[in-house]
Amino acid sequence: MLALRGLGKDYGDRTAVQALDLDVVRGEILGLLGPNGAGKTTTISMACGVVTPTRGTVAIGGVDLAKDPFTAKARLGLVPQDLAIFEDLSATENLNYFGALYGTRDVDWALDVVGLRDRAKEPVKRFSGGMKRRLNIACGLVHKPDLLVLDEPTVGVDPQSRNHIFETVKALHARGMTVIYTSHYMEEAEALCDRVAIIDHGAIVALGTVGELVARHAGKGIELELAGDLDAAVRAAEAHATVTRDGAVVRVEPKGHLAPVLAAIEATGATIARIESREATLETAFLALTGRTLRDA
Amino acid sequence: MIGAAIRKDVQLLLRDRGRLLSLFFLPVIFMIVFGSMFKFGPDQGAPRPVAMWSARDLTIPLGEGFTAQPMPSADAVRHAVAAGDTIAGLVVPATGPVELVIDLAGPIQVRGPIQGALTAAVMHAMAPPIPMPAMIEVKSPPGVARPLDDISSFQVTVPGNAVLFGFFLAMTVAMTFASERRTGTWKRLLAAPVPRWKALVGTLVPYIVIGCVQLTFLFGLGAFAFGMKVAGSLLGLVVLSFAVVLCAVALGLLFASVGGTEKQIGSTAPVVLLVMGLVGGCMFPRLLMPDFMMKLGHVVPHSWALDGYYDVLVRQGTSLADLAPSIGALLAFAGAFAALGLWRFRFE
Repeated sequence: MLALRGLGKDYGDRTAVQALDLDVVRGEILGLLGPNGAGKTTTISMACGVVTPTRGTVAIGGVDLAKDPFTAKARLGLVPQDLAIFEDLSATENLNYFGALYGTRDVDWALDVVGLRDRAKEPVKRFSGGMKRRLNIACGLVHKPDLLVLDEPTVGVDPQSRNHIFETVKALHARGMTVIYTSHYMEEAEALCDRVAIIDHGAIVALGTVGELVARHAGKGIELELAGDLDAAVRAAEAHATVTRDGAVVRVEPKGHLAPVLAAIEATGATIARIESREATLETAFLALTGRTLRDA
Repeated sequence: MIGAAIRKDVQLLLRDRGRLLSLFFLPVIFMIVFGSMFKFGPDQGAPRPVAMWSARDLTIPLGEGFTAQPMPSADAVRHAVAAGDTIAGLVVPATGPVELVIDLAGPIQVRGPIQGALTAAVMHAMAPPIPMPAMIEVKSPPGVARPLDDISSFQVTVPGNAVLFGFFLAMTVAMTFASERRTGTWKRLLAAPVPRWKALVGTLVPYIVIGCVQLTFLFGLGAFAFGMKVAGSLLGLVVLSFAVVLCAVALGLLFASVGGTEKQIGSTAPVVLLVMGLVGGCMFPRLLMPDFMMKLGHVVPHSWALDGYYDVLVRQGTSLADLAPSIGALLAFAGAFAALGLWRFRFE
């Protein structure tokens, strides 16, 4: 459905996205995870034709975005991270306008999908934050695209609206819509996505199903909270384990037994304030791949 | 797409009281205030009182615009002028010259015509009437049309404020771009199957429509409510107004390209527009400005617009062709603003 080939973007001397290859299969939900500044939004923006790539190509449904942008863009719906709606207009008026950009629209269907049919005529400024988020999604859907790109669709919403959005995406997926979903909530990616791509420093560092990523990158480990000379403690631990650090929290995967790791740390004078065994999850895989937790990132 | 954009922007405008106020109602208030302040031509308001005392049997006919207010003594005349009860005073002693009492600190633009008119009235009263043929005939030079016989103050204040507030459309245009960028609706527009030039034009065209509605409203109100007349070609007035709108929208594109965020535009654009309006003669007629300021006025489009409006509203028989210099200058400004704006405009 979406093919990115050698896609990259430079801003002056800074490379935001290197040369990214990615295939999104028709009908799947692909999660795009990465720390802030990793290149997620730039990648999405290039894929949607909002930002012109420095190199590489984008094909949507087999149509080259650069050669035939109108056909390619017509197949795609974008839900930006910001509330890209007009708050002085009603939901219907917003949907009519954004639908008109595509020359086709099904306003009632879009309102039904996000559960706003009964509030369709009210000015959006009277909506709750969650309702605005839902309308934001509806505006990306109103022309019934084949591919829906959702950039952080649940930021700042209440749990009820989040669940609603969650269910909406599942329902769209069930209808065969292809979805690209970026999120700061690992549990959303774990529960929603067929596959997950982790981006860091403008490149995809891992791609696969949640199960594959966890098995490949998130070996079980021990989480330690340390005090004292952390750099020395980490260096000492690295002789006996694979170590990742996030502030005062250090995650170790011992090469053998745990005891030599702890002894090496304590030998540096550092103290262990907390010690905890951690399950392998997408979060730990992300930490292992990027060195950061997603929410802190 | 452009039709949808026009509908959307008109809907947004109708729900934005602040913008409605600044584009439609504020200029009306200014027209009324300025129209009441500037009085000339036959619409001079009530005749101005001139205090008079005479020790001689002499009648001084004051002429139009003045009314004699007899006083019991010469000092009473002087006190009346000093107290501001009358605009000027005439003291006619038994012998010697007539004393014209007037506040010499008053602005020359105000004092000069009064002083001249009263001096002429005194000279006419005191000089023996000598029948002679007309020695002076006042005429416009060849190629310059005669003005209307009954010019009201609104012939000047309506276009002055229409131009001043018409150009405030530029700020609205710039704010729209900044707002669309902030909220992400601009991103949606770029993601849609719409060429970029069309996205840009689709954002500007609604304001051309709104600007035309604004000027139609202001000139319509001027004509029907304030008695403003159109001495020249109505088509000329329409084309000139369209050129003003194009120029204002192009200036808005330039503001959008260099103006930054809504907050930055909101703090700088009004200052720039007010200074342009002031230099261009929207708030104070350029004819009354010093020569240097009159010439300086031509660096802003407002002055060209006002020159054109003055011709078409005041000079009889002004045709569309007569307005070519003003319309041409406005279109040249519009082209320059648009070229600079496009050069600096960032789609992404």
